[in-house]
Amino acid sequence: MNKEFLKALLKRIISSLITLFLLISLLFILIRLSPGDPTQKFLSAEFSPELIKKVTADFKLDQPLYEQYINFVVNIFKGDLGISYNYRMPVLSVVWQFLSFTLLFASLSFLIQIIISFYLSIKSIRKKGTAFDKVVSKLSLIVYATPAFVLGVFLIYLFSVQLNLFPSSGSKSLDFDSFSIAGKIGDYFWHLTLPIITLSSAGIAMFYKYLRDNLDETYQQPFILNLRASGYDEKVILKKHVLPNAIRPLISVAGIELGILLGGALITEIIFGLPGMGRLMLNSIFERDYPLVIGCALTAGLIIIISNFIADLIKMKLDKRMIKGLMN
Amino acid sequence: MIRKSLFLLPILLIALLSSCGTKTEHPNRVVIGIPSDVNTFNPLFASSVDEGQVTELLYLSLADFRWNENLGELEAHPMLANSWKWAEDSSSITFYLRDDVMWSDSIPLTTEDVVFSLDVYSDPAVSSRLYGFFEDFYTDEENHIDVKKSFIVQSDYELQINFKPGSTPKLIDVVHPVIPKHIFDKYDRKDIETADANFNPVTNSPFVLKKWDRNQTITLGVNENSFLYNPENINELIFKIIPDYTSRLTQLKKGEIDLMELIATEDIEEVKNSGIVELMTIEGREYDYVAWNNIDPNVYKDGGGITPHKLFGKKEVRIALTHAINRKEILEEYLYNYGELAATPISPIFKTYINSDIEQYNYDPEKARKILAKEGWRDSNNNGVIDKNGIEFEFTLNIPGGNPLRSYASTIVKNNLNAVGISIKVETLEMGTLIDKLNSKSMDAWMAAWYIPIPIELKVFWYSDLQYSPLNFASYQNKKADKIMDELTKNSTMDKKKELYFKFQEILHEDEPITFMYWKSNIVGVNETLRNTGIGPFGAITHCWEWSVEN
Repeated sequence: MNKEFLKALLKRIISSLITLFLLISLLFILIRLSPGDPTQKFLSAEFSPELIKKVTADFKLDQPLYEQYINFVVNIFKGDLGISYNYRMPVLSVVWQFLSFTLLFASLSFLIQIIISFYLSIKSIRKKGTAFDKVVSKLSLIVYATPAFVLGVFLIYLFSVQLNLFPSSGSKSLDFDSFSIAGKIGDYFWHLTLPIITLSSAGIAMFYKYLRDNLDETYQQPFILNLRASGYDEKVILKKHVLPNAIRPLISVAGIELGILLGGALITEIIFGLPGMGRLMLNSIFERDYPLVIGCALTAGLIIIISNFIADLIKMKLDKRMIKGLMN
Repeated sequence: MIRKSLFLLPILLIALLSSCGTKTEHPNRVVIGIPSDVNTFNPLFASSVDEGQVTELLYLSLADFRWNENLGELEAHPMLANSWKWAEDSSSITFYLRDDVMWSDSIPLTTEDVVFSLDVYSDPAVSSRLYGFFEDFYTDEENHIDVKKSFIVQSDYELQINFKPGSTPKLIDVVHPVIPKHIFDKYDRKDIETADANFNPVTNSPFVLKKWDRNQTITLGVNENSFLYNPENINELIFKIIPDYTSRLTQLKKGEIDLMELIATEDIEEVKNSGIVELMTIEGREYDYVAWNNIDPNVYKDGGGITPHKLFGKKEVRIALTHAINRKEILEEYLYNYGELAATPISPIFKTYINSDIEQYNYDPEKARKILAKEGWRDSNNNGVIDKNGIEFEFTLNIPGGNPLRSYASTIVKNNLNAVGISIKVETLEMGTLIDKLNSKSMDAWMAAWYIPIPIELKVFWYSDLQYSPLNFASYQNKKADKIMDELTKNSTMDKKKELYFKFQEILHEDEPITFMYWKSNIVGVNETLRNTGIGPFGAITHCWEWSVEN
């Protein structure tokens, strides 16, 4: 069983990596065929035409596309994603600088989304049909439908401009280095409060809706009636029977959501001036920093694959029948 | 109850922890809000405006250029060099360096650093931002300065630079930020671009890089050993990266940042009402224009042939188009008069060289109609669009996306031209696509802007030989104008230059290759406690070591 499982796992990893390779190959071709190039920033009287020719040759952009692609593939297999045209650093170093923040920010947001949505949906289902349930259900729809840029700007206006409670941008204070360790942690959380609310609200609403509906559906199942008739305690029914069944579909969604969050929360990062993957990717596209675009896409793709994988593993842990599904 | 308290716990925790970070008072700190981070601290590669401004605060040049408001011209003052002397025939210049300039690692700055810097700037292996700009020096076939022929190092503090016979060197072409030889000499030239030293600069200015938090803040501290250091002035300069315009504006109004540029005209009142921000303007560095392709893009595409454009090939038509556009309305309604109408590419800030006799082509649709009719453009088939020889006067006007001013202006242009019987379609293009089309000269008409260099540079924009004028996207050609531009590259007296510039403006105005719309002001918000900012055409933060804060 273990051997078979490992074989299936390996098969899945290989197929994911092939998909990822095809994805970045397609991206490589599309971005090079699209208009504009990295020398467009030198279109000014401040730079000589010779510089544009020189930079084009340095970046090997004067080579035919197929030659550029072959070099790209060879380098990928060597684990070399190249040097970012703008940052003048290896792509992986640039990505890591931004990814480290995103990992913290997205994980924190994800955790908050899960905890709050979990709490609200259980409370809602326990109080099904009451004012609480109705209000939270309606509110979740409103929150889900509110775009992040609207919510973000509103929060800045209220808590930063009017009430002066939280900072409007950045991830730390200018005097961060002079703070004690506790002060540094506090400062970090103080800065991330509004961005996390902005980033998490839609996720909380989505998870809440999923989980509440799943819980409701599970409670309607005949075996729950049977358990109740057998005199099982409501808490036991919820913990042992309802939750494991209701949570399973949510895990797949959570896997995708985590992947998306880790790939970068562009709008939130821009509104609050945070140094994350979303901003990095957008800027690299605008500046036609080809190696960095590929690096960001590869990272985001890998993250999505890994988070889905983790989601599958959790599902398997909950339900052994999933292993068979995976192997098939 | 306990559960409810648990929910309040994170909030209390944040409040408690954040209070642990005691706020420190920084009476001489200045925070500047900028939209994007720099990617290097090496002036060799500083390609963006922000990079240029930050690196020039870290690396000084032999001379310091300041704007003379009265003359409307640049003035050179001593900086790393105490003085300099030109040879009578301008074949060489000798710089006498200060002997008290130290790099921030306490190594003295000498002529060796200056020679090394110019050598590296021109080295093709380095691909510096100035590569290709050293034609006055003795160079090899790859434009790399020939060090032996070009430089005579008389001593650690005296350097003679020789120029090619027949060249016309100017001080501004020779003086560039000096980089430390003892740091960059360790690297292979082709590796300088990615060197660690670009991110940990050893500087020669009153500032040092204290801390760089990527995409968050750049903190410059003072170098107390610098000859420019003054303890009364600012001692910490922070560039805070805030990509979102609204957030930058909010922080300016709250006093979290002390300066930001490019404030939108619609926010002026709000900023004034904050009570802590003073508004200043940088005039005449950027003009908007509507370009009319002077040549037929289809013929040009088929082998580089030059034939007049079927619609815009005649200057009379282009003048009529300018008469048809109500530029003043845009200036008043959108820019709230923060700017002025443009007639030529010579900015009004160049007070000596601006030809004030040139009269604007005022908004006059009737006159536009008459000129067009005289040129044979009439609505012969009564379809509401003027035509000539079976060709309807219709075209697409391309504008770059993401610019509200251009969207507004293009609507006015469209309505104005419709009113004189011209059919126009406005199409928004992504910047990369627009640049591709500009380079291939494949558009009929477009709206864009030019940020003009100081001192005046014309050839690259207006010269007939398109090899020498990569920015002449409208393909304007005039032999008389060429001759003047050739003359202007030579060293001449101010009066002679004035005469040439005046003549050039007359020719260009007569040809109206494009419709010059308006010079836009860069509105800068400055915290009212800042003193001695001296904001001018060279930018908002040049010489900011001279700033002080009134507490």
